[in-house]
Amino acid sequence: MSHLLKNKNLKELAKIYDWVSMCTHCGNCKYGYEYGPTANFAAMLCVQGDKFNFDSYRGSRGKVSLARSLLHNRIGWSDKVAHVLFTCTSCGACQQMCETDIKPWILRMFETLRYEAWKQNVAIPENIKAWSSTIGTLYNPYKEPHEKRLDWLPSDLRYSMPSKAEYIYFAGCTASYRRKQLARATVSLLQKLKVDFTVVEDEWCCASPLLRTGQYDLAAKFVEHNKALPEKYGASAFITTCSGCYRTLGRDYTMDAPEGYADKYGKMTGVKVLHTTHLLEEMLKKGEIEFTGSFNKKVTYHDPCHLGRHAEVYETPRNVLKAVPGLQLVEMYRNRKFSFCCGAGGGVRGGFADYSLETAGKRVKEAEATGAELVTSACPFCYTNLADAIELNKSPLKMEDIVEIIEPIVRRK
Amino acid sequence: MARGNNEILANLEQIVGPEYVSNEEADLQPYTWDMTWAEPRMPDYVVMPKTVTEIQRVVRLANHRKIPVIPYCNGTNIGGLCVPEEGGIIMDLKKMDRILKIDPETCYAVIEPGVSHAAFSAALKATNPQWKGEEFSKGFEFGWGVHPPSASVLAMAINHGIGHLNGRIGINSQLMSSMEVVLPTGEVAKIGSCAYSDSWHSFLPLPRMDGLFTGWLGTTGIVTKLGVWIFPIRPYKDVLTIAAASAEDITKYMVRWRHYSLCDEVTAVSWWLAQIPIVFPYSPKPADAPEFFSYTVISGWSEEELAYKRKMWKEVVEKERAKGTKLYDFEYPPEAKKGRTELPSRIVGSTKNYSKSCGGGIAWPGTFAPCKSWPILYEKWKEIYIRHGLSPATRFTDYQGAHYGMLRCMTPFNKRDPASVQAARDAMVECVRAGLPEGMLPYKPPVEYQNELNAVADAGYLYLMAKIKDMLDPNNIMNPGKLGIR
Ligand SMILES: Cc1cc2nc3c(=O)[nH]c(=O)nc-3n(C[C@H](O)[C@H](O)[C@H](O)COP(=O)(O)OP(=O)(O)OC[C@H]3O[C@@H](n4cnc5c(N)ncnc54)[C@H](O)[C@@H]3O)c2cc1C
Ligand code: SF4
Ligand code: SF4
Repeated sequence: MSHLLKNKNLKELAKIYDWVSMCTHCGNCKYGYEYGPTANFAAMLCVQGDKFNFDSYRGSRGKVSLARSLLHNRIGWSDKVAHVLFTCTSCGACQQMCETDIKPWILRMFETLRYEAWKQNVAIPENIKAWSSTIGTLYNPYKEPHEKRLDWLPSDLRYSMPSKAEYIYFAGCTASYRRKQLARATVSLLQKLKVDFTVVEDEWCCASPLLRTGQYDLAAKFVEHNKALPEKYGASAFITTCSGCYRTLGRDYTMDAPEGYADKYGKMTGVKVLHTTHLLEEMLKKGEIEFTGSFNKKVTYHDPCHLGRHAEVYETPRNVLKAVPGLQLVEMYRNRKFSFCCGAGGGVRGGFADYSLETAGKRVKEAEATGAELVTSACPFCYTNLADAIELNKSPLKMEDIVEIIEPIVRRK
Repeated sequence: MARGNNEILANLEQIVGPEYVSNEEADLQPYTWDMTWAEPRMPDYVVMPKTVTEIQRVVRLANHRKIPVIPYCNGTNIGGLCVPEEGGIIMDLKKMDRILKIDPETCYAVIEPGVSHAAFSAALKATNPQWKGEEFSKGFEFGWGVHPPSASVLAMAINHGIGHLNGRIGINSQLMSSMEVVLPTGEVAKIGSCAYSDSWHSFLPLPRMDGLFTGWLGTTGIVTKLGVWIFPIRPYKDVLTIAAASAEDITKYMVRWRHYSLCDEVTAVSWWLAQIPIVFPYSPKPADAPEFFSYTVISGWSEEELAYKRKMWKEVVEKERAKGTKLYDFEYPPEAKKGRTELPSRIVGSTKNYSKSCGGGIAWPGTFAPCKSWPILYEKWKEIYIRHGLSPATRFTDYQGAHYGMLRCMTPFNKRDPASVQAARDAMVECVRAGLPEGMLPYKPPVEYQNELNAVADAGYLYLMAKIKDMLDPNNIMNPGKLGIR
């Protein structure tokens, strides 16, 4: 019988077959849709399907079907299988559309499939292999020396950071090595707001790139290491500007499967994880922030998948933006849970740069159509991809992170 | 791992471009199965044409090489109808997704096969009925089913799809108004008013050649454009509900209510189907629970119109009660009401009802049956289902005017358990066999139902069917094996 679990070698995948087999093959996940009282929403949301067309690439159905085909021993591993698996950005749009019992397991299943792929002789994207080969010693996927991790921090600050603080600002690899201005702006913002925080020399990659690409074994020591930081620095919370770090610290470190990886790495307890926009929203609510200037621009907000769909934080960044004097917020057609990914996630930016930038280009066009002058987001990784696509497409749009918009025009009341 | 042959692959690549064809098993595997019990079968190629010319060229190649071609949009037909019985080319039509025209004055639209219910409903809602620039009301609708919104409107309509306006205006194949089709031998034909001008409003008064491509399950040609009638959205809606002690009681009520042609839809579901998720495996219903629950959707242009319809409905209920028909009041929860009026629906179309209790299998004996057969067949089906350990999760829906309606039994089963699959298939085939003498006919029939149909069909009917099929498709390349005659 065709649906029997025959391939027992795929142990990780077999473990979740109870959930995988709940997919009815209905195809809801292939296209975005919602009924509305005056207008219905309908749009392609799957980045991968939009590019590679076939049902294998469209939404979770293609990958569930692949998982089953492998478990049923009806197809074998091939480079094409790897391509299907590694061109998904883990954006989670398909998960939003699914209403059956596989729903919470969809992203975990993608990662499990990738985990299994590493053990086969198939074409894992070279670039992913390259950063994976050094991340274990450099503690970042950018192949940069760990010693330079805090180079973004002006030296006067670097050596005056407190050894104990309420918050650890977890800058993350992208801001630390590639978007240094964003890390600097965050530190300046936190200082202006008189937040009791520190930045730590021994921050390692949060393990997001490892978990998203199914490298469970390699991820273990990263989770273990970072989990110990709060105690070491007397902190009760992590604060992140990176949505990927937020998702990983806040969910993978702290939640049971399928939302997190507590089943593999244990649970981080007693530590809060906040995104910068949470802190800003909270302080705005309490009346602790005073605006010293305005931002007179029409702005559209791009939901980072890791903050939005993965963690369901949609309104917080919007509330912060709406509080900025002069800022006019306009929405793209695809927003919130039906947002369209920037194209960078799930290892795709590293693995398939052209496709990743092509996706970002689509998002930039959508942002342009709103008439906005500036696109903002709440993630340095989205920033990188969108900013590159803006440049590549000679778009008139500007890109700034929410932190960069806010930092110059606030002070603590 | 690749399938097929490299020469054919190269030919297909020349026709549609390399990124729109694949013979890699990793790409082919989602097309090997659907929700039903259909045994997975691998196609050899998948192609995604973007134009009618590309379809013609693929079909000509297939004819020359005698390779099956399976038209495919979303594969949600609940009949294994896109599972390639003999391998061949899956022709995935999703890239042909243009809404070519919405005529808000003549009230029709022209769509390509890849237009989903999601996209079509959004476009129709954004178009207002009007005449010479004067707008009458807000938005259009079509007969929306309760399937995944990603499913194709065209594939639904040409296979006698069922939508939320069936009570008022008939099933969706009755709403088709013109079509363009690529014949299995590669020629293109227009059928209906579009054969004479660019007006796609009607098949009538011409000979009904659209019948050659309607209900044929993709075995006679590839429909590349379809004209469909669209309807102004009525701003006032309500859902009225009543329960009944038996199939007999609910049928009496439904037939009397339908007599007045006042509702958009009237449907009844058995106790087992009213449970979320559907009860699987079978367990008895509580003795004091009604056997059937019914809803009817009424719509109108004013509150007065709705009030009149409510009054008439109450009279029907009272008249039936006075005769001794056992009808009980019950209220639909607001969420359920929404599910009936806010279509197409991401939630209702999601198969959510099925998956909790089982391993992803869904099928049903979906049939068109004369209303008077409903209570008779319900009792027979119930016995068959319970014998196979399945819940008789049955639905009756009337189609426009009490002539006939849907009789189907929604069936979850566990695909991981061969015995469960076997039980579901056996029960459903037995139901079909039991229903045929009562006038019941399965729609979008899986091969197993088709065989049952053919076994009792009029010989002349089968002869004509085979003759038409041979005439149109001399090499039997179009979705072979599905009709059970070739
Ligand atoms: C939960 C659920 C509920 C459903 N409820 C309903 C309902 O309420 N009403 C209803 O009508 N259906 C219903 N269905 C069935 C199905 O979803 C619809 O009929 C749907 O519109 C089929 O679209 P598709 O894109 O999946 O077609 P497919 O499955 O891809 O194709 C269906 C058939 O049409 C043929 N075909 C496809 N395109 C063409 C073409 N261009 N030319 C010729 N032949 C072609 C195929 O070969 C196949 O035989 C339901 C399905 C599910 C899963
Ligand atoms: S996670 Fe995003 S890219 Fe991946 S299959 Fe789902 S919708 Fe497509
Ligand atoms: S993953 Fe969910 S939405 Fe997609 S086909 Fe499976 S059950 Fe349907």
